[in-house]
Amino acid sequence: MTSDSKKELGVGIFFLALSVAYMLGTTRISTFTPFGNRGLDSRSVPQLIGFLVFVLSSVHVIQVLIQVKKSKQDSVEPLEGNRDQVCDTDEVICIEPPKGSIIARIDTVVPVKLLLSLLYLVIYVAAYQGVGFVISSTFFLLAESFLLVKKEERKRWTVFIILYSIGASALIYFIFTKYLSLFLPSGILG
Amino acid sequence: MLEMLISGFASVFTDPTGIIMILFGVTIGIIFGALPGLTTVAGLSMFLPVTYVMASNIGLSMLTAIYIGGISGGLISAILLNIPGTPASIATCFDGAPMAKKGQAGKALGLGVFGSLIGTIIGVLVMVVLSPTLAIFTLKFGPWEYFSVTFFALTLISTLTGKSVVKGLLSALFGMMVATIGLSPIDSAKRYTFGSLQLTSGFHLLIVLVGLYAISEVLSTAAAKQEQVKVLDYKMKGLGFTRKDLNGNWINLIRSSLIGLGIGILPGIGGSTSNIIAYSVAKNSSKHPEKFGTGIADGILASESSNNASVGGAMIPLLTLGIPGDGATAILLGGFMLHGMQPGPLLFQTNGDTVYHIFASMILGTFFMAILMWAGMRMFVKILKVPTHILIPLIVVLCSIGAYALSNRVFDMWGLILFGILGLAMSKFKIPVPPFILGFILEGALETNLRRGLEYSNGNVMDVFTRPISAVFLILTVLSLGSTIIKQIRHSAKAAGKGAQS
Repeated sequence: MTSDSKKELGVGIFFLALSVAYMLGTTRISTFTPFGNRGLDSRSVPQLIGFLVFVLSSVHVIQVLIQVKKSKQDSVEPLEGNRDQVCDTDEVICIEPPKGSIIARIDTVVPVKLLLSLLYLVIYVAAYQGVGFVISSTFFLLAESFLLVKKEERKRWTVFIILYSIGASALIYFIFTKYLSLFLPSGILG
Repeated sequence: MLEMLISGFASVFTDPTGIIMILFGVTIGIIFGALPGLTTVAGLSMFLPVTYVMASNIGLSMLTAIYIGGISGGLISAILLNIPGTPASIATCFDGAPMAKKGQAGKALGLGVFGSLIGTIIGVLVMVVLSPTLAIFTLKFGPWEYFSVTFFALTLISTLTGKSVVKGLLSALFGMMVATIGLSPIDSAKRYTFGSLQLTSGFHLLIVLVGLYAISEVLSTAAAKQEQVKVLDYKMKGLGFTRKDLNGNWINLIRSSLIGLGIGILPGIGGSTSNIIAYSVAKNSSKHPEKFGTGIADGILASESSNNASVGGAMIPLLTLGIPGDGATAILLGGFMLHGMQPGPLLFQTNGDTVYHIFASMILGTFFMAILMWAGMRMFVKILKVPTHILIPLIVVLCSIGAYALSNRVFDMWGLILFGILGLAMSKFKIPVPPFILGFILEGALETNLRRGLEYSNGNVMDVFTRPISAVFLILTVLSLGSTIIKQIRHSAKAAGKGAQS
């Protein structure tokens, strides 16, 4: 089984499990029909959605299994779309780009950066209310900027990033609370 | 209508703050459009909290200005870096970059701006004429008609996006599942709240949108290995091109704009699709298709006019039915709701002044976009050199303010992270996001109208088939689903045949 097939099977199983859990959840929804049930109640539409997800995810799983079986019989990998094609983001249309046309890409993902960015974001949100906007934002801007700047350029950017993180956080707090009348937590700065 | 539009212009021109905000919005939009990896949606999400305290007409005009600027700005990096600034400018790279490499970058930029101007004008004008007429028509809709239209929109987006109709439909239903969290419509029964008070009000539309579009986009840009790309030099005299460059291209411009407009009207998809379709149509109907890709005006004009015409197109279903035409208009829908307005047929009756103010400001914004890009190109090109490690953390901080300020609670910020991760996972597993968004937005309308329809007809479901407008939309639903399923079966049979041969 190719990694693509495994991914697709995973998608199908995820939705299958979700639909079962979701349908079980409908039993806990209270209904209110004071004038008699002439149509649907608050439980009906979730039940319908859960049922449709169950059916469609089953179809998806069966489709993937058939495809895997077929590719095993023919002992060839299932055909994938032409990798040279250019598609729109929603994959509504794909076309062959003109000959010699190379669109520069920036799509190699560095997983460590992604995970660390997410971790910083979680810490930022957790500290937001208690520590306050200015301090938590300063640390988030510092940490995220240092994470994203290229290693070889880090030294050159250090002073700028520190000043920018403090300045931007304070300025944003000032503008939003003074001029845009929004409430932002002041935290330990009181 | 004309009277209302004139009064819209009057209200725009008598308010200097409003004009400054339109100018500011267009500038921000162009910057976000030009920077690769950052899109219009990120720009809209970032500046949404700034509009919270503005008057609704000024705030919404600023957001639409960001939208116009964002779609146009993508051409700068497409031409000078050979990287589309936004997905709406993919096809601009095909001829824009080769023209720039031939030392005619100024001409390519000038043509791109001109194409954007014509496309936006056509799109916005059709929007101004068509939206009020459609709104009057949709006033006749009862619950069954609304149900059928929303059902059609959901199935259409599910069949159009991605390579699998099953995954498209699953994505739409997943969005509907998330939308059922909170209180049910009509009888306010608690659903999937798990005893949490915070979940009683469900997830706010903006949390879902900003998380799925902006946070996931910004996180994946942050994690992307940035390759060093060279910004090409350019010289631009006047408009950058001569009248001769447009010879034989007027039909191309109009046809591409109409394609963009049509694609924009379709729910959920917009400029990112229309530029590729318009480019291939221009190439196929050209007398010299072999020249496409070598740096000719036809390709740039087709791509840029179509993606900009999608702006007006995407606004039409938003204003008349409350169904967003693309990701950016989904954020705008959230903006409307924040300012206490519900897009749909009644919008023209209840908030006609604001709607025409927005129309007038969009027309003004279109000209601001062209003037700013022609006159301030040097500044925008310099901004291409601003490092992403400075911008990305700032966008996250501003999006967080937007989330927190919705109800002054950290819970919404957690929602932002949750939907950001969901967006990343959906992109990893190739589950299309637009059906999810539309499912989330339309679940309420779908359920309310289905339940109301059944109440009115005493539980008789046949009414949905016997009412003409409703029946037409249901037939269209069956046709779109049927044709896509047949197409996919044929495609997989063809692929299996090829696999067996090789």
